[in-house]
Formats: sequence, C-alpha cells, structure tokens
Amino acid sequence: MILPTPEQKAQWEEEGYLVFENAIQGEDLKRLQNAFDYWADACKEEWLDRVEAGESVATFYDIPSPLEKDPIFIDIIDYPSYYGALMEFTDHDLILLGPQVRTVAPWPVSYTGWHPDVGQSNPLHIKVQIYVNDVEPGSGEFGFVPGSHKPGSGPYTRPMRQESMTGHKTFPGKAGTAIMFNSCGWHVSMDNHSDTPRKSIILIYEKRTPGRIGPEQYASISAYCQTPERRKLFSLDG
Amino acid sequence: MPRIDAHLHVFTKASAEFPREISDVWPAEREESVEKLLGEMEKHQIDQAVLVQMAGASIENHRYLLQCLKAYPNRFLGIGLVPEGHPNPADHMAKLTDNTGIIGFRFSTFGGPRDIFAKMDVREFAAYPIWECAAERDYVLWLYPNAINAHLLPYLIQEFPQVRIVLNHLAVCPGAGKFSWDEFGRPQVQVTGYNLFMHTTYRLARFENVNVHLSGQYAFSKEEFPYKDLAGWHHGLLSGFGAKRLMWATDFPWILEEPGYGKLTTVIEELLPNLSEAELADIMGGNAKRILRFPDL
Repeated sequence: MILPTPEQKAQWEEEGYLVFENAIQGEDLKRLQNAFDYWADACKEEWLDRVEAGESVATFYDIPSPLEKDPIFIDIIDYPSYYGALMEFTDHDLILLGPQVRTVAPWPVSYTGWHPDVGQSNPLHIKVQIYVNDVEPGSGEFGFVPGSHKPGSGPYTRPMRQESMTGHKTFPGKAGTAIMFNSCGWHVSMDNHSDTPRKSIILIYEKRTPGRIGPEQYASISAYCQTPERRKLFSLDG
Repeated sequence: MPRIDAHLHVFTKASAEFPREISDVWPAEREESVEKLLGEMEKHQIDQAVLVQMAGASIENHRYLLQCLKAYPNRFLGIGLVPEGHPNPADHMAKLTDNTGIIGFRFSTFGGPRDIFAKMDVREFAAYPIWECAAERDYVLWLYPNAINAHLLPYLIQEFPQVRIVLNHLAVCPGAGKFSWDEFGRPQVQVTGYNLFMHTTYRLARFENVNVHLSGQYAFSKEEFPYKDLAGWHHGLLSGFGAKRLMWATDFPWILEEPGYGKLTTVIEELLPNLSEAELADIMGGNAKRILRFPDL
C-alpha cells in the first residue's frame, strides 16, 4: 500500500482531488482494457434494447455487475497506487459502494451538468475515475472545481455550458490515469466533441457507517475476497 | 398577461364531414368539442390554447381542427401531424399552414441511427427534410420523442438553431411498450424511478430555441394530483431551462374526469411553490404567447 505524501495530503484537503498518472499500467492495464472492451461489446445490444424500452439512459452505458465478469474489475478496487490514499483519508475504514464501468458516447452535449454527488452531512464520499482509453481535451474528460468540496465554499450554480463553470479545472489524461475526488465537490464530464467514446471506470467509496452495505451485496465475489481487508472493503462480514 | 393552455386536443364525432381515425378511447361517436373546451377555459379563466391534432394525420383528418381555428382565430393556434413516410412532407405542411392558424407539427421519430455510437450524418436522417422545411417556413416543431430517438435531437437542433422546439410533457421520451390507458381514459406512460431524461432531453437546455411543456403529469406520476413525486422533475426543468422556456398545459380532454380541468390550472403552483408571481405568469401563458406568437386578445 502506497500512502499519500504530505503534499498529496495537503492538496486533498485544500483542493479535494488527486491525480495518479500511470496508476494502472503494463499488463494490468492491458488486462483491464481487454476485459472492458470485451464486456462493453457483449453488453451493448442489450443496453440498446433497454434504451428503446425506456429503461436505460441513451447517452452512456455501464457494464452490468462488472465484478462478476472479470477479476480485474475486482483487483482495481484496492489497487496499490491509490488504495493507500483512500485508506488514509477514511482513517482505514473504507467501504466500496459500487463500480460504474462506463462507456460515454460522443454527443454534442455532455450527458451531465456540473453537480456535487452528496452534501456536507454525508460521510466522506470519494470517487476514483480511471481512464481506460486516452482521454484528450474535448473528449469527455473529467472536470472539477478545486476547493468546492469545502464547507462554506460557493455558492455554485450550474452554468449552461460546461466550460463556463467558475474556477474549474479539466483533467485530460492517458489510459491508466486515476483521478480521486471528494464527491462533495462540483464535478462533471466535459463535452465530448471527438469521434471517440470515453471509456472509464468510476469507483465509488465511502467512509464506513454501520449497515450502509449489506453482506449480500458482494456475496457473489466472496471467493475473491479472502483477506480481512478485502472482506471489510466489500462489507462481506456485515 | 394571458393564461394559455399550451397543449390539448379536441375532436368531434367521426363523419364524412370530419373524418378521423377511431379507437377504443376515441370511438366514432365520442366528441370532445371545442365548445366544451371553451366552457372549461371560461370557468377557469384560461384565455387561449394550442389545439394539437390527433386521430389521423391526413389533410382530411385535420378538418375539425381547421374549423376550430377558423371559428376562433384569436383564441387558438394549431399543431398538425404529418403522415409517417409521406413522400412530400413539405407540400403536406404547406397545405395545412396556409393562413389556417396551424403553426407547426408534432413528431416522435427522426429516422436516424438507433445506436448513439454510430456515425451521425444529420442529412441522412429521414426527418431532415421536415426540419429543413420548418427552418425555411418558421414552423414550430412539437416533439414527443420515442426513447430510442432522444439521442438524435441535438444533431438536428444544432443544424437548425432557428427552429422553435417545444418538447412535450416534461421532456419525457416514452419507451416502447410502456404506453397504456387507465380506467379514467388517460394515457399512462411507465417511466423508471430514476429520471433518465436528465441525461438526454434535459441536456438540451443549452440550446436557446428549446422549450418544454410542464404537462402530462398524470401519465407519469405514481401518485394522485398534485403529483408531488414529480416535483423534482419540475425543479430540474426549471433549473435547466429557466422560467422563460417552460409552458403549462393540461392535455385536455384526458384529464376531464381525473383530476379535472380546474385542478390542473393550479398544478404549477403546487409543484413549483417558490416561483415568483412573474415567473408563474410566464409559465401559465406569457411564454406561450411570446414563443408561439399568440395574437393579442
């Protein structure tokens, strides 16, 4: 486990995000890309049928139950390059809420506007977004307003155009880049005007509160969670 | 400021004079006349309305609508239909808009790729000639897109930024097989608890020519009037589009029995209680007057 440096800790506190370049690389990145592409392709038609039936969003899709589909999707949950920071920031009391293995289509407008996910009263809620392909500027890169996670910051209002958000920063990056952010902060997916879908994985974590996730949630992958740390992370023992 | 019901339907008994399609819900002998509508409007201080064609898209099917518009030129504007696959939609639309009071047309499909990941060439969309014609002749496009068509909209809107767009019924895009009729003879559209439209049609707020109806609540809500479970949807639309691009409507006659026309004239105050007086007046008619160019009374 790689713990965050004092500089990283200070940035996390002040700005509410950290970028881990090459967080996943080499064979692991290839495994991740192959599994992503295989399952995204396998699930696409069913997703389109669900869009037609009005049961799924038309502008992006997530691979359903990814943890059951390939062990690489489990391995990235506690991947060493960012897991230490997650543990440190949650006082070593971290749970996984869920993964979103997401393909976002190029579209004239981003599929979402600027928003925070949770309010200040929520237990510390952290997301890690991992780029599975290279994400160039203008191709759906992550955007964040540094400092917007802090109590008393703002007020922020959602602008009509993503690029008009006051004080925002955008995060293009190479495949394997991981961006960790405090979900109280205002964030977005920028417009994707390229011809390339944005492939990324959004891992959602929270500081543990009793009963937040039941042991049945991840029971199907219990065999992959033999260590006490993993069992705790996946709330397998209640 | 006038109070304008921005989307409703009237029809008369099917006859040689007024041919129309029939169904279990609108059998040949059923009549929901413009006089009945005017009675409700009078009773609830509604000044003007948009009459939307139903029960057939041929020129002949529009006869009753055209008669109503002719009889009450200051009270009503009309929205027509174009038969699917019409070989010359421009000609059809021109015939219906020649000084008749019909200002635009209603559609739910655009004829582009089903898959949002496909290469999009808007000129290849089947609906392109209709949009082109709307741009040239200043027609309003009245849209109730099927779910599988929603992703095509911004390509057309980008191509034709001058066309006035009105997304019907809370910008919902009904899914295939999710439509039915309830015991009060009202359309019902089964929607997911999670609001999918905030990732599609709500995102069109960026385009200044796109407006939205606050209507059809009865069809999507899982509650009775005032449909409080849809308050969040109304707030989402207000925050995205602003009070100047929203229009109240009742969808008469489907709502006559339940909850009744009168109650629906208060639905906006119920669901958006923090609107200022001016904002409420805009939504209840000011916007429809400005955007659709209703005549002064």
